[in-house]
Amino acid sequence: MDTRVNGAPASDPDDPELNAAEHLRDRLGLTGTKIACGSGVCGACTILVDGTPTASCLLPATHLTQRSTTTVEGLGGTHPVQRAFAAHDALQCGYCTPGFVVEASVFVDTWRTAHGDVAPDRDTIADALAGHLCRCGAYEGIFSAVASACLGEFDDDPLRAPPRSDAPDKVTGRARFTDDQALPGTWTGVIVRSTEPHARVVRVHPATTPDGEEAPLVDLLGEDRTVRYVGQAIAAVAAPDRAEARRLAAAVRVELDPLPAVTTAEAARRPDAPLVYETKAQRAAAPGYGEAPSLRTSWNGNVRGPAVVGWRTATAVSRLRAARRRDDPLLVAEEYTTVAQVHTPLEPHASVAFWEDGHLHLYLSTQSVSMLTDKVAERWGLPRERVHVVAEYVGGAFGAKNSVSPDAVAAVELSRLVGAPVRVSLERSEELVDAGYRPGNRTRVALLAGDDGELRALAVDSEGDGGVSVGSNVATLAALMYGRSPRRVRDFDLVTHRPPGQPMRGPGGPPMAWALEQAVDTMALRLGEDPLSLRRRWDGNPKRRALYERVAELPLWRDRPRGARTGRFRLGVGLAAAGWPYLVGPLARVELTVRNGGLVVRSGTQDIGTGIRTVLGDAVADRLGIRAEDLSVEIGHGSAVHGTGSTGSRTTTSMGPAAVDAADRLRAALRERSPDVPESGPVPEQVFKEALSGAEGLRVVGERGRDRWGRLTPDTAGDLAAGRGLGGAVHVMEVEVDTLLGRVRPTRCWAGIAAGRIYNERTARNQCEGAVVQGVGYALFEERRDDVATGVVLSDDLEEYRLPGMGDVPETEVYFHQKGFEHVPGGGIGLGEVSAVGVAAALGNAVFDATGHRHHDLPLRPDRLIGGAR
Amino acid sequence: MTVTRPTSVAEVTADLAREGVRARAGGTDLSACLETGVIAPGPLVDLLDVPGLDGVTWNADGSARVGAMTTVATVAADPRLATAYPALAATARALATPQVRGVATVGGNLLQRNRCAYLRNPAFDCFQTGGDTCPARTGDHLRGVVVDQGPCAAPHPSSLAMAFLVYEATAHLERASATALPVADLYDGTDPTRDHVLDARSLMTAVELPVPVAGERAAYRRATGRSRAEWPLVEAVVRVECADGGRGPVERAAVAVGGVARTPLRLEALAETLVGAEPGRDLPVRVTEALSDLADLCSPLPATGYKVPLLQGTVRDVVETVLGITGR
Repeated sequence: MDTRVNGAPASDPDDPELNAAEHLRDRLGLTGTKIACGSGVCGACTILVDGTPTASCLLPATHLTQRSTTTVEGLGGTHPVQRAFAAHDALQCGYCTPGFVVEASVFVDTWRTAHGDVAPDRDTIADALAGHLCRCGAYEGIFSAVASACLGEFDDDPLRAPPRSDAPDKVTGRARFTDDQALPGTWTGVIVRSTEPHARVVRVHPATTPDGEEAPLVDLLGEDRTVRYVGQAIAAVAAPDRAEARRLAAAVRVELDPLPAVTTAEAARRPDAPLVYETKAQRAAAPGYGEAPSLRTSWNGNVRGPAVVGWRTATAVSRLRAARRRDDPLLVAEEYTTVAQVHTPLEPHASVAFWEDGHLHLYLSTQSVSMLTDKVAERWGLPRERVHVVAEYVGGAFGAKNSVSPDAVAAVELSRLVGAPVRVSLERSEELVDAGYRPGNRTRVALLAGDDGELRALAVDSEGDGGVSVGSNVATLAALMYGRSPRRVRDFDLVTHRPPGQPMRGPGGPPMAWALEQAVDTMALRLGEDPLSLRRRWDGNPKRRALYERVAELPLWRDRPRGARTGRFRLGVGLAAAGWPYLVGPLARVELTVRNGGLVVRSGTQDIGTGIRTVLGDAVADRLGIRAEDLSVEIGHGSAVHGTGSTGSRTTTSMGPAAVDAADRLRAALRERSPDVPESGPVPEQVFKEALSGAEGLRVVGERGRDRWGRLTPDTAGDLAAGRGLGGAVHVMEVEVDTLLGRVRPTRCWAGIAAGRIYNERTARNQCEGAVVQGVGYALFEERRDDVATGVVLSDDLEEYRLPGMGDVPETEVYFHQKGFEHVPGGGIGLGEVSAVGVAAALGNAVFDATGHRHHDLPLRPDRLIGGAR
Repeated sequence: MTVTRPTSVAEVTADLAREGVRARAGGTDLSACLETGVIAPGPLVDLLDVPGLDGVTWNADGSARVGAMTTVATVAADPRLATAYPALAATARALATPQVRGVATVGGNLLQRNRCAYLRNPAFDCFQTGGDTCPARTGDHLRGVVVDQGPCAAPHPSSLAMAFLVYEATAHLERASATALPVADLYDGTDPTRDHVLDARSLMTAVELPVPVAGERAAYRRATGRSRAEWPLVEAVVRVECADGGRGPVERAAVAVGGVARTPLRLEALAETLVGAEPGRDLPVRVTEALSDLADLCSPLPATGYKVPLLQGTVRDVVETVLGITGR
């Protein structure tokens, strides 16, 4: 038998050092196959070998010899599963999608042959796709897509107008992410990292190339020549191919002068502990993981803080102290902990750089194209117009891709040094160690209720465990919940010689809700009151109050089991409330150009899986009454007008109104030329076409208008301002606890989200469903684990760092309360973060309801659950 | 790195006789071990093209011989194997993921390296990589052994080995010292330097199973955090032969567990208490006592105490399942 790839004869793979995925991508240019985990866990690299789904990252390339290989490109975009994935919006960023559709295509075909056109149940689909992970959490759409493909619903329906405009590119493997950029002659860069938790770097000795020359090497360390965690970037090397680059990186000799280190929170707290930062300047330069600048505060050894917020703080403290002295039964004072949750987007941090005629071209996996263009220009001292940052497709980010990270610095510097394009893509082990995580927290909550059941005082002390970084805001966020009773909240940071945290989706929110919402449920129990009824009394937020009304009528809540549960499997239902500030990017701009008789929507924003590409096209099309297919959207280029960064839940609420404004400006400009264009309402197709043909080259730029009543804060340099009103969410979670084997199975979830008007129902719902998946991961599985003695991160692959799979997530219903933001242009705010805050907290309350055991520490692992049933 | 692709067992053994040469089957674990530095790069012998190593053959007496290059997916899907050796098929279906089962082989599964995070992290040395300590013992060993047999604290990773134990299967080898070895003897829990006893010159060609028993019932369970695609914290498999074509009392039973010790373990005493137990009825007291007594087998490390109740629970689950006892 011949070697065939996608039906055509192919030459035999001859490089024994390549795996099949590398061979397909690098030698054959079939970049639809993704390498995401490199250890056969995530499924993004799945291909068919003689029809059998195979993890190609673990398959030697030479094992493709005399076999027939099919990649996602070989499915041709016409397999019913591909159409179904697009139609059901079974994807977000799209990085895992090729692997999913390749595996699902075999499952669907096999299932239909055996069973006919009937839908398999969720368990069967979860079994079939057990080897695939979607970090965005698009599992609800995937279940629907696979079931409907099995029903034969997509046998001849062409791919047209899916809810997400770029879905066809993602289900076919055509979407090119940063690591897929294959410029001829691209070298590979590899980062050399610290093996010590704390050391002075004396000297870095370059490696020697096979030709006996000094290998190219760039410095990544900066001025103070000190490494403060294992895995910190020191330098980078490059070579024409990856294997050689890795050999060179291993051959670089770093002369280190080890210094005393603290690798645990306990050690860092000791009075005689070595200091992570010794000088004021070092402390001021500590990296931060808050989304907004954190409050100024003092340091005591390795402890920073407290940053204190509150009102009537003295009253709050004296009431709580008195209550403790008299052993008041309505005082709930408990400690709760969380651990590091790693962003680990399936597309790792990746950069491809090249210099040409004084211009810097940088393909970058980033969530802030416009801002990064500014920062790159500043860092390398270039005029902005000579910097070309491109991120057309970004495989997830969740807060971790918002800076000029070491991969970008390495690629840019190495490219200048070697005079060729250089690609630096992090391995999964690097991504899991030094690319960001949500820090762990230790949070003490005290709640005091009066005899009337009203909240009389609230105090929260929280300590963030973010390695060398600072900026915990867990306690501060708690001050925004449950009315205006006296309260004092204090945030501390504890620094250690471990990797830095970064802002992660709703920074501080999930650990805050985990602590506060367990405490509120504990209070409900003390008061003998239904947890919903207590929240309806305590919580004055009008949007959440609207959601509580829905919850009261929800069968999932109303008909939940009551009384003590017995037996091995126990069902429980819990809820949690959440809030999030409304942030906006005042600088948002959208440009409309008439090009080749068509309309092009451009902006320097980027789609990390949220669906903003679709929202922009739809907003313009709706405003003009034309079809979204009749215009094209070009985002992800830093040379375009300023686009909002995908952080702070502000992209849609900033970019959407700017797109509408651009449409209005276009209409006015067209009317000057073509009076047939109506002043308002839909533009008839023929009129629009003719108007465009007479306006070639026309360019208008729309802006984000101001909110009625203005904003709460002035605009900051980071294109960030706070608007009036808070987003709200209420999650209701049902779980089944297997008390014999210590496993929690989330079965159903209701996610009520109050973020004003929803721009695109399906992509918004997808994001909220994904927030549930990530929250389940946070509650049950996700945990960075370190070696205490050395500070080495042990959970450096996706086997040891556990993400939820298809079989681990509840059937989720999303409800949108769309009122309350009429003062905002477009009527809606962001929801990426508010939808993520309360999930784990609701799950914890559900486990308590099921078992009668109140857990204080996340994640709820089997070893913690197995003893915990009444 | 050189790779040869011989087409006969004789050529393979000749290649393996050279210093530093390793055999490669499906390559799933070997690729991961090369990537993380568990194994140093060196010459490889691919077994893909060697005839006779792949597939299930049935002997005249009705017993099966599973070629070492047979994929786990084949074992999981073969209907005749499922009828003859249900404990083996159930175990194969539950391990790894579809796209790993499709290429991972029976031989590779039996001879794979353990999953200890310290072993697979280049920052650490341990007994398995030429060092003289076990960093997991003093460090993170949440997934470590609860039956402590020796210096290494990593449980054996092979689920199939556990299933083969309940059948007392035999591994066929091509090597100087022996040509067959009980699967149980492939492992030595007291040796911290390696995960099986075969030297690099040995080639496993097949696993031979005994004559199947008509009406055998079996159950398999793995305890994990997630529902699927996760290495077990504890796993258990049970097979029973019942009187009256499967409806009567248990006549013979075998139980094995994994995830708890350096080797898969057979639970002989517990299996004996199952004899006489009747399907669909409450568990006899002697069985529940034997389940409690599993604690006596255990010698937990500081962080693996939870595996005692988890072991008891997992074994209880498979016993109840195989006897058709539901609800408690």
